[in-house]
Amino acid sequence: MTATLEFVRASRWYGQVIALNDVTTAIGPGVTGLLGPNGAGKSTFLKLAAGQLAPSQGEVKMLGKPAWGSPELFHRVGLCPEADAFWEQLTGLQFLIGLLRLTGYDEAECRQRAENALHEVALLDAKDRKIGGYSKGMRQRVKLAQTLAHDPEVLLLDEPVSGMDPVNRRHIVDLVRRLGRAGRTVVVSSHILHEVEAMTRRVLLIHNGRILAEGDVREIRDLMDEHPHTVALRARDTRALARAVVGLPHVISLTFGAEGEWLTVQTARPDELYGNLAAAAEEAGVSEMYSPDENLESVFRYLVAG
Amino acid sequence: MRDTSRPVPFARASRAVFDLALEGMVWSRRSLLMAVLLGLPIVFAIVYRVVLAAHIPPRVTPFDLYGAVVVFYYLRNVLPLAALFYASALIADEVEGKTLTYLLTRPVRREAILAGKFAAYVATTLSLALPAVVVTFFILLTSRGRVGLGGAVPDLLRDLGVLALALLAYGALFTLLGVLLKRPVIPGLLFLFVWELIANLPGYLPRFTLTAYLRSLVRHRPAEEGISEIFGQVLPAALCLEVLAGAIIVCLAAAAWIFSTREYVMDQ
Repeated sequence: MTATLEFVRASRWYGQVIALNDVTTAIGPGVTGLLGPNGAGKSTFLKLAAGQLAPSQGEVKMLGKPAWGSPELFHRVGLCPEADAFWEQLTGLQFLIGLLRLTGYDEAECRQRAENALHEVALLDAKDRKIGGYSKGMRQRVKLAQTLAHDPEVLLLDEPVSGMDPVNRRHIVDLVRRLGRAGRTVVVSSHILHEVEAMTRRVLLIHNGRILAEGDVREIRDLMDEHPHTVALRARDTRALARAVVGLPHVISLTFGAEGEWLTVQTARPDELYGNLAAAAEEAGVSEMYSPDENLESVFRYLVAG
Repeated sequence: MRDTSRPVPFARASRAVFDLALEGMVWSRRSLLMAVLLGLPIVFAIVYRVVLAAHIPPRVTPFDLYGAVVVFYYLRNVLPLAALFYASALIADEVEGKTLTYLLTRPVRREAILAGKFAAYVATTLSLALPAVVVTFFILLTSRGRVGLGGAVPDLLRDLGVLALALLAYGALFTLLGVLLKRPVIPGLLFLFVWELIANLPGYLPRFTLTAYLRSLVRHRPAEEGISEIFGQVLPAALCLEVLAGAIIVCLAAAAWIFSTREYVMDQ
């Protein structure tokens, strides 16, 4: 494997806090999942890879060049940040065109590429709406579109499907897999095993700033299945959703959130739950879905304990 | 054909940042507030023309009033404030809004980002301030007929140049403060309303202020009386231009260097 992204004994600390500790790894083409609980160091890893931070120690190389201080790399690299931040007054199309102009394309090509990217994330119909009026899922998708629009060889995606509804989540997962198959280097961070597993089998497990393990996600999956998995869903009709899943044998518990907007489902078989949700989610108007990571944390505790 | 082995050329990148920044700057609440502040003299000029002109002694000419508005309102207070609130926020707003990441993950030099945003600041503030000055000038100077209007136009043009220079000089300084400090507004206000007061002292000290050079360039004040008495010393125009140009270049260069070497950690 030719390494696109290399960390050589890279560490990064903020004052007294070590965010990433002596990391050595090499990532090549295809999709690699960066898996770890919140605060594990995933975002710091991606910021170092994207040249947003300089390593306090060691080296981080992207496409053979130091990631920090090489802006020309961004012709070939795209970053989808985690923060839900935009210039809210711009439309989706203006946002993409503005950023594409910064990549050096002429006006006609900017427009063409922006529309293609919006089409790729199923946002073309909303291209002339202001981002301030987009739903959470649409905002995630337009953020992804700006990552794709200049057709980069390397894509760094920080929690890219966070907050998306199940249909769009499926769409983006398929897109990431397609990019990986096309030979792009895609690094996807997530704290949800199921999410990463849907995109790739190759994972880097990160915890407390260290790489705990690299390899096949199935080994983690075997451990994971011993722990209950929690999925929180925001829906128009949470009671209809509850009726649809309450009879499933793998569902352990259901909890309604404040004002009845949220339903939290605990399951022993997340795969089956996600499969069962597809039809029910549409009927109940599910608009957001995420998985708290307590279960992943427990797997990491298990791994750390050896 | 794009050369992907280098960053996008400086001018092209700055222009793209300029366009992106201008949109957000023009249609902001900050611009609405500044438009009101910068337009207040127009209201004053209308009130003067309709109500006050008859009650003010003839020795106070409309030209004197216009001069006072330019020097005391625009040059000394509102334009420096506009510069402070816009220029110190050029990068700080992007950091606070966590949108800086989008700019920093493009193949552009950081200096080009700063240059584009500074140009957007200059375009926004000039387009708000200069028309207000021109309108105020014409409303005041035509209040007693058009006599002497033609002769005053060169002074108007000179004032517009000085006001533009003020926006550049204060803007460059506050851009530097904005990239240097996390909270630049209080130090900026202290600079404007404490430090700049030493421009009124005799001796060499006023040369350490911006206002001493800027007000020395305003030509239309009366020579021996009125507001000129509290002006203090008048510095040579060539020296003023040299010092102001030097201050602009040094402040912008320092700001660009700091911005291009600093890490920006956007908290999640």
